[in-house]
Amino acid sequence: MKVEEYNQLLGMQTDRRSLLKGAAGVAALGATGGLGSAAVSGSALAADSLRASILKIPGVGKGSPGDAEWQKVGEMCLEATKANVKPGEFKGVELNFMGLNNQNLHNMLFRGFLKPWEAYTGAKINWIDLAQADYNARLQQSIATKTVDFDILEMGAPFEGDVCGKGLASVMPDWVKKQIDIEDYSDYLKPPVGTWDGKTYRVTIDGDCHNFNYRTDYFSDAELAKAWKAEGHQGEWAVPKTWQKVNEVTKFLKGKKIKGQDAIGYLDPAKGWGGFGFYFLEDRATAYVKHPDNKAWLFDPENMKPLVNNPGWVRAIQDVIDCLPSEPADQLNADPGTTAFQQFLAGTGSMLSWWGDVGSMANTSDTSVIGNDVAFDILPGSDDVYNYKTAKWEKLASGPNVSPNCAYLGWGVYVMARVDADPKKQKAAWSAAAHLGGKDLSLWMVMYPSGMQVHRNSHSDIAEWVGAGYNKDYITSYLKSQFGSYNHPNRAIEPRIPGIFQYYSVAEDELAKVFAGKMTAQQGADSIAAAWDKLTDQIGRENQLKLYRASLGM
Amino acid sequence: MGHASLIPAGRKSAGRLLIVLTSLLLAATVIFQILDASGVLAFGLPDWRPSLYAYIVWAVSMGISQVMMRGEAGHKALFLLPALLFTIAMVIFPTVFGFYIAFSEWNLSSFDGQKFNGLDNLRTLYNDSYFWNALRNMTFYVASVLLQYALAFGLALLLNADIRARKFFRVAFLLPFMLSPVAVSWMIGKSLMEFRFGPLAGLARHLGWENPAFFATPWIARFNILALDAWVWLPFMIILILAGLQAMPKDIQEAAKVDGAAGWTSFWHITFPLMLPVSVTTIVLRIIFQLKLADIVINTTSGGPGGATDTVSSFIFREYRDRSNVGYGTMAAEVYLIIIIIFITILLNLVGRFMRREAAQ
Repeated sequence: MKVEEYNQLLGMQTDRRSLLKGAAGVAALGATGGLGSAAVSGSALAADSLRASILKIPGVGKGSPGDAEWQKVGEMCLEATKANVKPGEFKGVELNFMGLNNQNLHNMLFRGFLKPWEAYTGAKINWIDLAQADYNARLQQSIATKTVDFDILEMGAPFEGDVCGKGLASVMPDWVKKQIDIEDYSDYLKPPVGTWDGKTYRVTIDGDCHNFNYRTDYFSDAELAKAWKAEGHQGEWAVPKTWQKVNEVTKFLKGKKIKGQDAIGYLDPAKGWGGFGFYFLEDRATAYVKHPDNKAWLFDPENMKPLVNNPGWVRAIQDVIDCLPSEPADQLNADPGTTAFQQFLAGTGSMLSWWGDVGSMANTSDTSVIGNDVAFDILPGSDDVYNYKTAKWEKLASGPNVSPNCAYLGWGVYVMARVDADPKKQKAAWSAAAHLGGKDLSLWMVMYPSGMQVHRNSHSDIAEWVGAGYNKDYITSYLKSQFGSYNHPNRAIEPRIPGIFQYYSVAEDELAKVFAGKMTAQQGADSIAAAWDKLTDQIGRENQLKLYRASLGM
Repeated sequence: MGHASLIPAGRKSAGRLLIVLTSLLLAATVIFQILDASGVLAFGLPDWRPSLYAYIVWAVSMGISQVMMRGEAGHKALFLLPALLFTIAMVIFPTVFGFYIAFSEWNLSSFDGQKFNGLDNLRTLYNDSYFWNALRNMTFYVASVLLQYALAFGLALLLNADIRARKFFRVAFLLPFMLSPVAVSWMIGKSLMEFRFGPLAGLARHLGWENPAFFATPWIARFNILALDAWVWLPFMIILILAGLQAMPKDIQEAAKVDGAAGWTSFWHITFPLMLPVSVTTIVLRIIFQLKLADIVINTTSGGPGGATDTVSSFIFREYRDRSNVGYGTMAAEVYLIIIIIFITILLNLVGRFMRREAAQ
């Protein structure tokens, strides 16, 4: 779990002692331990009791865990390793582990978790710690200059094309799949994510998606409701469920006041963010272009022709152009960092799509003034969806088309192919990765500050969270929004092709011109498509096509 | 000369032999590595370290042989040689090697790695509207140096005058120069000038500007970027001009005063012409720094809105960092270098002529 979320969840919930005193706490503990169930096996009971025990280190609300706790949890979760590895089996093996050191988490935790593993197996791990900003450059240069100097890599799924697609990663052995219980992953993190050409490479330790954050005070405001009716808008004054409504609300709010301040609707980041800004146009576009019958939404999987200039995408771009005059005056210079932290959390704007951080920082960040007036949902849908295969807009019988944008897909642990030549080293590397991505350890990671989000079906067991000390109502709503996006049947999955951030970055440059009024939406979209085509040719069309299809599981 | 002639002929030829041998070693190593890298030989050396070691051996032997061949003069050469060889290794070689990369298609994500592509990058650059847009912006930024110079001159005159707390002001005016442009872009561009809670935005509202968005319209954004950059660099110009003012012979000014020239006349006919050499140096140096403008732009506007504040360096940064487009990015950098060299050469030439004409008058 991200630090901010952890702090916020703690802030939101009732006192843990009083909770445990209550009947809910008893019921929750009973459910967690499986008490009274005659059907559960002894090992299941042991596993459940292990899960309950590790979640008490140090106990939710009892201060931030540190190295001692990480080592203790690592030690307690060693049983899975012991089943596959003999004591001292990897004596003499040295492994290089490259990962991040964001917020003193990631590698810092991994060090602690792996210390007992090192003591048991006899292997030694050398650490390469990177700041987030240096990560992409370091990885790409290692690949391009053929100087991969690490055996285990913490990596985001978008880079799978660069690494797995180029044969640089080691294929996951079956015993690892069993040890980590790979079937337990949330649907959207199951193949094709983590795999290439049917081979599995990734031990998932994190999940990611964009959510819809909105201000509850806006949508319960009587004055605004009255004005909404008076102006003849259709439907009740309520949280928009489609992008059409988001646009309508945004334009409606221009010139209105709430609590004496200017009312503002949706916040579009109109400035680039090193490629990451493109995710936010995707948020608007997926509902328009991700048809439930088609897996593809960014490129044509027959020839890699960009779909970014089809009417669906152009409508999303046009939406931004049309909404910008109703948004804050400095929106052209607002990147996603601005929209989230300087605008939404600081009280400007009523709707925002972002990663989970925003909804959870509302209560914990000193700069946040929106307190409890924030709630979250999956991304809005659209009344109609563009089917690029028939080149027609379609209205689905099932109602609005919804397609949550699973942007970035979270972190995973990968083993590099360079260990394959040495069976002992290979087993050691996979054992370390499996230990980090273990089912029980992962539960601890998503409940305590680690930088990781929920990513397994087993993380949705409310009873375990309550048993650890979380407030039931809050955690229920939090998990519902997360898993609602992850498990949506029409979710839009990141195309994990090599250089994906290059595509995003070049699109940002063109979009900046469109939003500044130098081009129309269609011209901008055509320019992006042309630039993407060129990029595809530069990186290698045939390979890109192959990898794109593989990333979609085609 | 006298010392050199005292050196035994054997020592001289031993020195010469040392140079020849190590030069051969360096050439052979480099050729061997090139052949290995291009696949003609199949040794599969993992990196270019052997060439680096051969260069170091050659560099050391150059130093030794200088002393062996030229004695005292060789010793003197040793003071300069390491710096020269270091510059060759760290500046001249990368610049030349850059051309090799510039004529290739090399996207770090590409499956084929680096590929020679002739003049393609040059053609792409010629047709790249982002490059030309950035170059146009650069003409604005460079032209503004004259305005900055006028401001700096005025401030330098004030700091040179008998004003109260002169030392304090001199230090105070120097402070912005001590700040990193990255810090300035965050402190001022993203905090003081922040639309919602920035004090400067608050002041602007107070003065009647309803929506003080400092970076949302092209010309306003351009002027604000310029203001941030000028704020950092003005002290540099002030220091140079102030040094010139203080070095100016006092008797000329006093003689002018005796002759009845004061104020504007004195400045225009005495101070300004005498300060011309310093002024030219100041302006040329400032232009060179201005041409490198990138950090403030990258942090504050990312080149926006719609490319209005983009600079060539920030454009190259995006090609390189965000798009791993090494070949094209290098070509852009090399072309920009050539443009700068040509521009500065012409500028110095014109200035030289101007100065000679002034001197003749």
